[in-house]
Amino acid sequence: MKSKRSFTEELLPQQILEIGACTQCGECLKHCPVQDVTGKPSVSPPEKIRMFREFIRSTDGLKSRLFGSRDLDRKLLDDFTRAVYECTTCGACGQNCPVGIFTQRLWPVLRKEMVKRGLGPIGVQANMPRAIMNSGNPYEKPPSERYRPWFPEHAKIVDRSEIAYYAGCTGAYESQPMVRGDVLVIDAIGAPFTMLPPEEEVCCGFPLFITGQHDQLTDIVTRLVRGYEARGVKVLVCSCPCCVNIMTRDWPVFYGKPLPFKIRHITQYVSDAISDGRLRVKKELHEAVIYHDPCYLTRGVGVIEEPRNVLRSIPGLTLLEFERHGINSRCCGSGGAARKIYHENAVAMGRLTIDEAVAKKADRLILSCPACYAKVNESMQGHKNQIRITDIMELVSTMIEGDRS
Amino acid sequence: MKAYALTALDIIFFGKLLMVNPALWLGEWVFHFSFLLVLLRHLRFFLNPVPACIWWIQTPGLIAGFTLPVSLVYILIVRLLSGRERYASPANVFLLGLVLVISSLGVVMNLLFKPNLVEVKLFVLGILSFMPVAAPESVLFAVHFCLVLVLIPFLPTHIFLAPFVMMEARKREQALHLVIHEK
Repeated sequence: MKSKRSFTEELLPQQILEIGACTQCGECLKHCPVQDVTGKPSVSPPEKIRMFREFIRSTDGLKSRLFGSRDLDRKLLDDFTRAVYECTTCGACGQNCPVGIFTQRLWPVLRKEMVKRGLGPIGVQANMPRAIMNSGNPYEKPPSERYRPWFPEHAKIVDRSEIAYYAGCTGAYESQPMVRGDVLVIDAIGAPFTMLPPEEEVCCGFPLFITGQHDQLTDIVTRLVRGYEARGVKVLVCSCPCCVNIMTRDWPVFYGKPLPFKIRHITQYVSDAISDGRLRVKKELHEAVIYHDPCYLTRGVGVIEEPRNVLRSIPGLTLLEFERHGINSRCCGSGGAARKIYHENAVAMGRLTIDEAVAKKADRLILSCPACYAKVNESMQGHKNQIRITDIMELVSTMIEGDRS
Repeated sequence: MKAYALTALDIIFFGKLLMVNPALWLGEWVFHFSFLLVLLRHLRFFLNPVPACIWWIQTPGLIAGFTLPVSLVYILIVRLLSGRERYASPANVFLLGLVLVISSLGVVMNLLFKPNLVEVKLFVLGILSFMPVAAPESVLFAVHFCLVLVLIPFLPTHIFLAPFVMMEARKREQALHLVIHEK
């Protein structure tokens, strides 16, 4: 395949440097969850970088500049595309890179390049733009079902408020105990909060961003930001780490200016409410629980202590930690929009999380991400090890004073 | 400021590698430091007159000439013995092998078959001044010199780019808590 389009067009100058700076040492393989379950170096981070360097040389190398771009091996392009989409984009490779390459941001950009060349995305990922256009969510579920099945009857949404809650598509359609817990806890804090109507609360854009399909993003982000702005929102609370990540890092870029409100992960909002006494956790829980850090919450936006503060506020609770936790957490398998394509990888990764939680003798596995919640629950089906899985706000909602759940 | 200090430590002492793999770090640090000293030691063949600072590092450079191939063998053993990071691209293995052969030839010449160093210097200065003179009559030197010429185009660019990426990584690390938390 011959192309005159430069392979560096989508890359930031920093990312071009990163690709050149990889020493190919292979240290990242020890931390890659895809390697954990496949053992295939052909889909490893240094191999992806090696292949992409080949592509860059083919269009931007000295020889190509002097004598024109050279033919690219179609198989190499296909191998690279498969490798970059099999990745969960968890960023553990970059976190442990001796050079410090920011892979959690690099892989999505390389996917975007493949989309521009008509090679990506793969499988059902290609349906997402149409699904989001038609239904507002990547699962193509009806907007009328976005809140209705799980929204607590007594919780009151006001038209205008400085606080808004964004449920997110995966929470609303695939991890409903989680978003129900969110609303119960936000309601119990007592400050009035608003939400967009279900037909207006569309996808945050993360599935499109992470699969490299950016065409609709400016439109989606603008609609959402204007919707919250019109409701006088100053703080937008969300529990999905992927949503929080794109809202914080990329919404200002697609919106074209700073957002008129702050973004907060729900554990930040609840941790503050517990600290200043607006929310009191009075019930006791005499259990050992283990908390799994979502990749996009820790390596993405640095929310590490707040979920632990929330859990430690529950009297009687013993908090256990995974070997790899906090900024070094291991992906549960649901990241990077790969879970629907590389289902077996995702289930195997989810089972590693379950197995470690069981080995640590935890009574309960606590999650704080709807994608983790859906995938780890799915991974437990038919697995030899079983553990009770609970979302952090699902747990808190049953522990708070005057619980109305 | 902290980010710059940490970057300096990363560049000089490979701090991030030390954190993730101390065994490999030992080999890599000794290799890179030895490589630098050996390069500096060789400057005596390229400069006339030879600056005093180059004379000062002749002994450390000589020691580095021995530690260089040893560190390369150590790196290969560490990488082959450790299961998960056994990733090695053909280009990487080729490069490591090439440096190992070049440095081993250097050691052999130093210990057993020393070429006439005056002739070596005249040969190198002749090339630099576009007035070539005959090469020293040493097969080992000829092979050593030719392999260095082969090595030059394969020298990895990461040596020059990694410091910038390391600095950005440290800045990003320091700023992570500001992404979503109050400033």
